[in-house]
Amino acid sequence: MIDFLLSRYFVSIITFTSVTVIAVIGIYILTGLTGLFSLGHGAFMAIGAYVAGVLMVNTNIPFFLAVIIALLVSLIAGAVIALPCIKLRRDYIALVTFGFGEAITAFLRQTATITGGASGLSGIPAKTTPVLAILSVIVIIIIARKFKFSRLGRQCLAIRNDELAAKSMGINVAKVKFKAFMFSSAVVAYAGILYAFYTRYVDPGMFGWTLSAEWLIMVFVGGVNSLTGAVLASVFLSGIPEALRFAAAWRVVLYSLLILMILNFRPKGIFGDKEFSFKHFGMIKKYFKGDEGNVN
Amino acid sequence: MFIAELLFYGLSLGAVYSLIAVGFALIFNILKFSNFAHGGFITVTAYVGYIAASIWQLPFWAALLVAIFFGGIIGVISEFIAFRRIRNTKGPIIYYFVSSITLGILLESLIRIFFGTTYYRYPYDFGGYLMNVFGNMMWISYLDVYMLLVSLITLAILLFILYKTKIGLAIRSLASDVDTAKLMGVDVTRIIQIVFFVAGVLAAVSGVFLAISYNLYPALGQIVVKGFIASVIGGLGSLGGAVIGALLLGFVEIFLLQTIGSGFSPIVIFIIMLVFLLFRPRGIAGVYVDTKA
Repeated sequence: MIDFLLSRYFVSIITFTSVTVIAVIGIYILTGLTGLFSLGHGAFMAIGAYVAGVLMVNTNIPFFLAVIIALLVSLIAGAVIALPCIKLRRDYIALVTFGFGEAITAFLRQTATITGGASGLSGIPAKTTPVLAILSVIVIIIIARKFKFSRLGRQCLAIRNDELAAKSMGINVAKVKFKAFMFSSAVVAYAGILYAFYTRYVDPGMFGWTLSAEWLIMVFVGGVNSLTGAVLASVFLSGIPEALRFAAAWRVVLYSLLILMILNFRPKGIFGDKEFSFKHFGMIKKYFKGDEGNVN
Repeated sequence: MFIAELLFYGLSLGAVYSLIAVGFALIFNILKFSNFAHGGFITVTAYVGYIAASIWQLPFWAALLVAIFFGGIIGVISEFIAFRRIRNTKGPIIYYFVSSITLGILLESLIRIFFGTTYYRYPYDFGGYLMNVFGNMMWISYLDVYMLLVSLITLAILLFILYKTKIGLAIRSLASDVDTAKLMGVDVTRIIQIVFFVAGVLAAVSGVFLAISYNLYPALGQIVVKGFIASVIGGLGSLGGAVIGALLLGFVEIFLLQTIGSGFSPIVIFIIMLVFLLFRPRGIAGVYVDTKA
């Protein structure tokens, strides 16, 4: 058992799952909380991975500085994407981010002298340890939870549920959407950084629209309203098949069928509106004691 | 000569893009969501056409017809699997959206599983001829001639159906108000099935031609982004705008291909789209589809 926990294989499952969980939290903030769809968030992951990777390969600046620069670049890119389409119909964000993903991939392929082009960027130093990955997940979950229950998070939810009503309550819709978009791009870029410094190699083909769509699917499996659901769904959907060594392609087919079923028959997702909290432990205790009689 | 080439190839590429953009806009008009499964339709029909062409060894027109038929069928099936129930339970638009994305991924990964990621070539060689344009020799590829002609004919048939037949009237009435159309006795489900059939057919025509000119691979459907860009430039939800946007995009793309090469052109086109969104978000056609909250 101890051998297994320390094995490279287990470490890789932990790390990849953490990366996915972080990225899915980023998508949850955008889609689950604000109701915007992005099919190009894979590109932000690419930006995080490539900017930090290229900096570390070509210069000898410290790791945390590279991370900060990468996050800043992703924020700038997020602003460039968000500004033109934030005030338009929601569809535009999906369309524009889709185009953005394609453009970034093309850009990475063309700048071979810096990024390695289509053959990828290799020689990135290994900086991501499982401990760092898990710590990052925990910190980001805490931040996202705080965000959800903050004033801004509430405004996001209001916008998602009824934009007109939110507007008439005095919420600056464009501004809130913009902030949510920026936040989610930074979170996803951070996932990209963790990823690059674990695999030590990235290539442009990894960050296509299917990646973004997979995250979206995970958010929907867990339930758009539930952070807990999104996190658990991403752990389950990325960790379990990784452990069972499913063929990657069949995994995606299974996800897609699952999400079609869920959309058709349980559209709120498996977790609905429920959120994990420590209160539930009390309920479980009561259930086992049975002293409350037949409590539902 | 440069201008003549630009016009010819831009027009034929733009015509194929316009099929994508129109197929996308048709569904957008009625169900009010962006159908991301359209790329999946394109990929699957292109593979069906390939099977008809190289395994059954059918001639080009027969293979195209097989793909078209299959495209229509897959459109109807998709509507049934992915959208019927959501429509019946009056689910919010985001469900359509997620459903279409999921369907797109499902189709693409099924193709990946059954055909692998290898590139396939259609076994057709159309050739072409050197034409004398005002003293300059210019290569006219027959494939592009066919592309242009078939796309134009398809669009013409579509316009005829939309504006001269009863079904077209029903489709247009659904586009303006589904509930009222239903009250007037329109069989909504049947009309939506027909619209998906048409979208599948359009995807098939564009899929086969694109697969012949760019080779066949599972990610071919991502070319649908051109359709999206065309409809953003032309005006989301407007059929005429979609066609104009697609033709413009075709010219721009051929122009970029001849000046800066194919590698950077997606980036430039993306920037053009951003600029359009910043300064004329309604698109060329100027139909402004705002979010009804």
